[in-house]
Amino acid sequence: MNAIQTRALRRVFTAGRDKRGKSGSRTALDGVDLSIPPGEVHGLLGPNGAGKTTLCKILSTVLVPTSGSASVMGHDVVTGLAAVRPLVGCVFGGDRGLYGRLSGRKNLAYWAALYGVPRRLIDGRTTTLLDRFGLAGRADERVETYSRGMKQRLHLARGLVHNPPVLLLDEPTTGMDPVSAMDFRRLIGELRNEGRTVLVTTHDMAEAEAVCDRVTLVNDGRILHSASPQELSALVSRYGRVEARNVPDTLTQRVRILPGVTRVATDTDGVTRIELASADAAPPVLRLLIERGVTDLATCRPGLEEVYLHLIADRGMEVGR
Amino acid sequence: MSSPLACPARPQALEVLRRAGAVALADLAVTYTWRTWLFGRVPRKLSQVAFFALIGRVVGGEDAERFLVVGNALMACAVETTLVVASSAWERALGTMPLLVSAPAPLAWAFAVRSAQWIISGTGASLVALLLLGPLFGADWQLEMIPVMVLLVVLTAVGTYCFGLALGAWVIDHPAQRNVVSLLANLLMMTICGVQVALDHWPAPVQTLAALLPITHELVALRELLDGAPLSAILPDAAAGALVGAAWLAIAVVAFGRVGERGRRDGTIEFGA
Repeated sequence: MNAIQTRALRRVFTAGRDKRGKSGSRTALDGVDLSIPPGEVHGLLGPNGAGKTTLCKILSTVLVPTSGSASVMGHDVVTGLAAVRPLVGCVFGGDRGLYGRLSGRKNLAYWAALYGVPRRLIDGRTTTLLDRFGLAGRADERVETYSRGMKQRLHLARGLVHNPPVLLLDEPTTGMDPVSAMDFRRLIGELRNEGRTVLVTTHDMAEAEAVCDRVTLVNDGRILHSASPQELSALVSRYGRVEARNVPDTLTQRVRILPGVTRVATDTDGVTRIELASADAAPPVLRLLIERGVTDLATCRPGLEEVYLHLIADRGMEVGR
Repeated sequence: MSSPLACPARPQALEVLRRAGAVALADLAVTYTWRTWLFGRVPRKLSQVAFFALIGRVVGGEDAERFLVVGNALMACAVETTLVVASSAWERALGTMPLLVSAPAPLAWAFAVRSAQWIISGTGASLVALLLLGPLFGADWQLEMIPVMVLLVVLTAVGTYCFGLALGAWVIDHPAQRNVVSLLANLLMMTICGVQVALDHWPAPVQTLAALLPITHELVALRELLDGAPLSAILPDAAAGALVGAAWLAIAVVAFGRVGERGRRDGTIEFGA
């Protein structure tokens, strides 16, 4: 049994009526098939509007799918609400979703009660979590006095307060400083060691590579690609490029015919972008540029958007904007 | 926290209500200190009650001023408790709605006492108005009447809170209307429930409508108490008000359930930052 399973999952939102009185619709998820085994940390990568949050909403029972099915630990998220809800912890980024006028301790205790944690366990559970997330020193202060990073840590603690086997983390590092983001990655490792299944959405490829056992790229509500981080790294380096300044036209022509160079373009700022078909193509390009006196240069990994564009182009799909 | 949850737990209503009450008390502590309540909020309420009582003195004599001071003093509590209409919509602004909907406890449990701070401040405001302004405008309370008076004010506060809670369930989906709805609710109560105008002034259909609001019955009971009626005459009206309040609570529970269901279907429960 998979911890999370979706089959042909589809969600269509009805938009408002236009000037002619016709109602429109927007497809947020379009036939998503996803299987995540127990204990896996699974990354869901995609740009804004790709459908990541919609999937999290459905899995957390906040949204009903239009068609298809989704289950958590074998329980259907539409027909098995009572079974699914205690099994899922849900955390989203930013500093909303907390009671600012309550202390951190009372926030956790309230959510523990809402999730049915027995009364005799609530105090111990909240204290343990506040310690774990470094909030013990300010546990009894109002949350509205916390920094954004502290609120985010409290969110994570809240998501764990009922000890769920499945965690949904929707853009959990939004607003985190680099040190907190590093702590977050360590936490994900701990959650994996505890045997929990984690679905984490992000648009930060480096973050996904650092914490995930497997990664799924989504765009326009569809799954583009599922891979391990290692496979993803290979995919990324495949689409690497070299950027250089002040490259003479004659040299540009010579670079263009080197093996593995797929495209060469110079923009109005004088930056020449040399796109490569493989990681092996970079050394000859760099060697040639340096031999000819071009020293203002850098190798670049493509951003997630570029990987998407390449993937989409590889599949002959049209990019929806 | 080393072993993940093995079997689903069932939330306990009393525990959820107790913890939600902590949210209400925290809001109360931020909304008022005892100084701002006593020297800011209460004088504002007393001014309003005195204003209507003075109109009664000018245009209708002793009976009218007594009628108006009692009605408006009790209404002071209803005005405060119907703030639940607006404060129920605060959950949208806080971003807690998706988390409440995805929690195993029914949504209504979280909302039922989440704004109970208004019951406390409303009860206090009405009691101060009745005890302080009443004697100045012809409502002379005997000492033995006070326990029953307190009971009637508390019943009014709880009943009108339940009425406001049901309206709050509607306002959650229409947050921009929160102030309009609470103002209309207050206007309705002030107009037809025997606060400013005697109930028998209104035609039967309006009186029937007034009977659907808890304050109508508690106000009748309070006036009976002031007139020296026996408990056997007062309690049936008080109980009728409590029953109407309970009916509004039941409506609120159903309405909150529908808020969650509707939000899940139409995707209006916002998620994230």
